[in-house]
Amino acid sequence: MSADEVHDPVAEEVKEPTKAEEVAKKIAERFPSASVEVKTNKWGRQRVWVRVPREDYKALMGFIKELDPEAHYSIGIEQDWGEELGFLAHLVIHYRDAPAVSLIVDVHAPKDDPVIPDISDIFPIALQFEREGMEMVGLDFEGAPDKRRLFLPEDFPEGIYPLRLDDKGISEEMVKNAGHPYLIKKGGKE
Amino acid sequence: MTEKVEYWVKIPFGPIHPGLEEPEKFILTLDGEKIVDVDVKLGYNLRGIQWIGLRRNYIQIMYLAERMCGICSFSHNHTYTRAVEEAAGIEVPERAEYIRVIIGELERIHSHLLNLGVLAHDIGYDTLLHLTWLAREKVMDTLEAVSGNRVNYSMVTIGGVRRDIDEKKRRAIEEMIKYYKEVFPQIEEAFLHDPTIEARFRDTAVISKRVALEQGAVGPTGRGSGIRDDARWSERLGVYPDLGIKPVMPQDVTGERPRGDVFDRMAVRIGELWQSLELIEHALDAMPDGPIKTFPKDNVLYAKLRLMVDGEGIGRYEAPRGELVHYVRGKKGSDKPLRWKPREPTFPNLFAVAKGVIGDQVADFVVAVASIDPCLSCTDRVAVVQDGKKKILTEKDLLRESIKKTREINPDIKGDPSPLGVGCVR
Repeated sequence: MSADEVHDPVAEEVKEPTKAEEVAKKIAERFPSASVEVKTNKWGRQRVWVRVPREDYKALMGFIKELDPEAHYSIGIEQDWGEELGFLAHLVIHYRDAPAVSLIVDVHAPKDDPVIPDISDIFPIALQFEREGMEMVGLDFEGAPDKRRLFLPEDFPEGIYPLRLDDKGISEEMVKNAGHPYLIKKGGKE
Repeated sequence: MTEKVEYWVKIPFGPIHPGLEEPEKFILTLDGEKIVDVDVKLGYNLRGIQWIGLRRNYIQIMYLAERMCGICSFSHNHTYTRAVEEAAGIEVPERAEYIRVIIGELERIHSHLLNLGVLAHDIGYDTLLHLTWLAREKVMDTLEAVSGNRVNYSMVTIGGVRRDIDEKKRRAIEEMIKYYKEVFPQIEEAFLHDPTIEARFRDTAVISKRVALEQGAVGPTGRGSGIRDDARWSERLGVYPDLGIKPVMPQDVTGERPRGDVFDRMAVRIGELWQSLELIEHALDAMPDGPIKTFPKDNVLYAKLRLMVDGEGIGRYEAPRGELVHYVRGKKGSDKPLRWKPREPTFPNLFAVAKGVIGDQVADFVVAVASIDPCLSCTDRVAVVQDGKKKILTEKDLLRESIKKTREINPDIKGDPSPLGVGCVR
């Protein structure tokens, strides 16, 4: 085979789209507002990264459930992007045959209006990640059936969000001494 | 006209309770002995690890991640490392992938044996607790022989593993496999065919497939309910596909359809004990020669990571308890991640079992929680045999030894780290 033939695009073998590419195509067709990208890592593993406006977020999650009724909601990640807050979800779909499709859905909201729709009616476990997002970065999930704190204590002050990059921290008075002698010496307030 | 009165009471179960090995709180709503509703409250052991992580560099977080859990320390380190490797585009040498498989499966054996013992203990069957925990010592000794530690092995690093498996270590692993091939049939017989175990575990805390899917149940909890997924298999992770990995389902062990009860979750763990032995054997045979890490020195790795991490990465791995996910987001030029979030398998499983126990007797609650294998804390004393004499080290002895070691490492240390024992909260 000559070098010309190797680089001839017409002669190249037409590859069947992978499961991940098919899912990406379906999402891109249904949601033109979303930006969809299939990224391949160093081990050849494909992941579908979807960035969607918050108006279409709930409809997109419903569509994923339509694509695979047994879709697995794996993690919800609350994030601080500076001017915006974000919530990123990782889902695993079509896992009955390996490899499964690894799907990441990212949605953002401005810090002065940090409202994202709740999707716990589609994926019930998402509610627990949303509760974490509300207490850790101050997102508000519109319509969430349970907005109580999950990890932080009930007496944790309002308006302080530990995982925001501009986190102010809790006041000195709130630090509870565990009885360690070094801490007592350092604090020196007894 | 008589009004129907419902005698429902709410009782707190935890955060500190003799039946729970770690602090977590459940508010049980009871109708007599029957559980009507369960509310879960977490955060009693929140150490702010994500917050600390934002203030540490990528290499320091490896060791921090490992300390999230003593039982699955390899799993956390490995999954975090995968996430960073994906964000930075770093490849791993093939030999390192095989070593990762071997350590991961050794960890799975020790974790499953531990949980089987805890399950037996929770129904008062301490003979089985002693049988499984005695057997577990062998894998702990093997892990110590291979890595130098019984927990927190620090075997994985970004771009490979930190220690090789030489002939001596290989012999220790092979001896362990031989030992378990004799011991596992006894454990399997005791757990799968004992009438007491069957009476307590069958149809207890049934998590239906629908509930398991809704609550995102993972690992033996998910597979026990019929969800055919295993992150090592569905992620095509490392060299696992070459070793013939398949999810272990309850029917592979019991021969019956999954019912989603405590028995099925236990059966999956027993099946995985055998699978782990097989995987270790295959990995030892197939392991090629070659380098074990991409960057031989940590200072080179540190410098490379500053330049290479630019974007996001997801690490997925099947820890003994189920699918573990770590997410890392970084920016070129910085040695710290902008976001690092782990999700450990107990999180969704707790909510799944909270739904599963509704309708059960309150007496089954401890077994139900133990069946998802929540994390445990470890030893507070050590027995040392020296010159034929046995000595029990107390808390004060441990502190004294620790201070001695600190002074050995850094003789110039300033200040007095005593008073001995005063700092310990009882």
